[in-house]
Amino acid sequence: MDNPLVQVDPGLFIWTIITFLVLLTLLAKFAWGPLLKALESRQNLIRKSLDDAQQATQELERVNQESLQILRTARVEAESIISQSRSAADSLREEIKQKARAEGAALVRNAERQIQLETARALQQIRHEAVDLSVMIASKLIGRNLSKDDNARLIDEALQQIDAPGTPSQPRG
Amino acid sequence: MAVQEHVQEQLATAAHEKFNAGKVIIEHVSNSRLQHPLVHLPKVLGIDFSITKHVLMLWLIAATVFVVVTWVVRRYLRQDRLIPSGFMNALEAVVEFVRDGIVQPNVGRKWVDTWTPLILTFFVFILCANAIGLIPVFEVVGLLDRFVLHTGEDSLVKQLLHGGTTATANFNVTAALATITFGAIIVAGSRAHGFFKHWKNLVPPGLAWPLYILLIPIEVLGMFVKPFALTMRLAANMVGGHIAILAILSFVFLFAELFGRGAGVGVGLVVSVPLAVGISALEIIVILVQAYVFTLLSAVFIGMAINVHH
Repeated sequence: MDNPLVQVDPGLFIWTIITFLVLLTLLAKFAWGPLLKALESRQNLIRKSLDDAQQATQELERVNQESLQILRTARVEAESIISQSRSAADSLREEIKQKARAEGAALVRNAERQIQLETARALQQIRHEAVDLSVMIASKLIGRNLSKDDNARLIDEALQQIDAPGTPSQPRG
Repeated sequence: MAVQEHVQEQLATAAHEKFNAGKVIIEHVSNSRLQHPLVHLPKVLGIDFSITKHVLMLWLIAATVFVVVTWVVRRYLRQDRLIPSGFMNALEAVVEFVRDGIVQPNVGRKWVDTWTPLILTFFVFILCANAIGLIPVFEVVGLLDRFVLHTGEDSLVKQLLHGGTTATANFNVTAALATITFGAIIVAGSRAHGFFKHWKNLVPPGLAWPLYILLIPIEVLGMFVKPFALTMRLAANMVGGHIAILAILSFVFLFAELFGRGAGVGVGLVVSVPLAVGISALEIIVILVQAYVFTLLSAVFIGMAINVHH
């Protein structure tokens, strides 16, 4: 055939195969192999990084929730502590107040009794003084000393006379 | 613009000899004449191994592809960052497209690493071989030679100008590439299933024996038809576009011969150059599609040998 478009050319055929196979070998060794490996490892790295990022986000979310939880319980606890201490203080104050009131009352009562006792003793003394005075005055008047028995008898009489008319609260001395 | 330079060169050629459109077109799409190769080599076993234009083109393409791809990959691997930059982005897009879009869906996850280098080389090599046909490198050299260099009739430059630049428009080249696919199919089947099992896989098992009489010849025929179809599709597509562009550009000279130079230039400016530009634009798509189709079908055939479905 004369047409160069459909010319059979075994030399070119074989050259093509040789050229292509040499190119394939060289490229596979120096370009495609390393490149595909690099792409693969990069893909894995990216996948791993994405996984890590997601995990980190979840972890963060969890920690966040946890801290919120902790905050919430702390607040509740603080509130309960405050209310507890407030009620404790209330009751303590009440107790102190009551005690003070009781003590005060006891003091007043004591003082009253003391006063009564002192009054009674003072009266007693006054009475004795009065008796002695009156005895002395009487003996002076009478001019002589009464005997001891007379004396005692006279005192008793006088006392009875003092006691008898309307002074029942007088303590006996 | 490249196409216009082309026209000017043709104009100059047409000035002193009668214009023969068919001869010029054939000259531009076919190999340099076998009787006048660039380098004469002795015949081995009756096969002429002389270096013709298309052999030279193949070597140029292979060398360019190897140097560029390896340089880009090495530069990427040398840097510390994992982020690709510059030309690596494009190369990575191609590699991932071929691996994830062509190889993996067809041959499956298990064999993807085995066959990606072959399919990638197919794609890059065929794409570059197709593309160089659209770039009028030698036409520019011819223009320079005519007006600047003025080399002699038998100079190397003159010899380089003979023949088309698109190696993939030569069906000897595409047949060789398809033969590699043919071999790859057998290797793939044998590696996946064992040598004998691969041949048994050609026909589905468990049919009535008379069916095998029908099926075995069909399947054996199919085995050869697949690479034959690859051969013809690629070569014819590459020839077709170039013939269309050259035929449209030939109008310039036909009209110049018939009605004078003015008519030729007028037709060139109004009809030929715009149309040729349009078809060249279409050719950019065609070179991509044909490289993709050859690669995809090779991957499909290899995948069919690995994942046998009956």
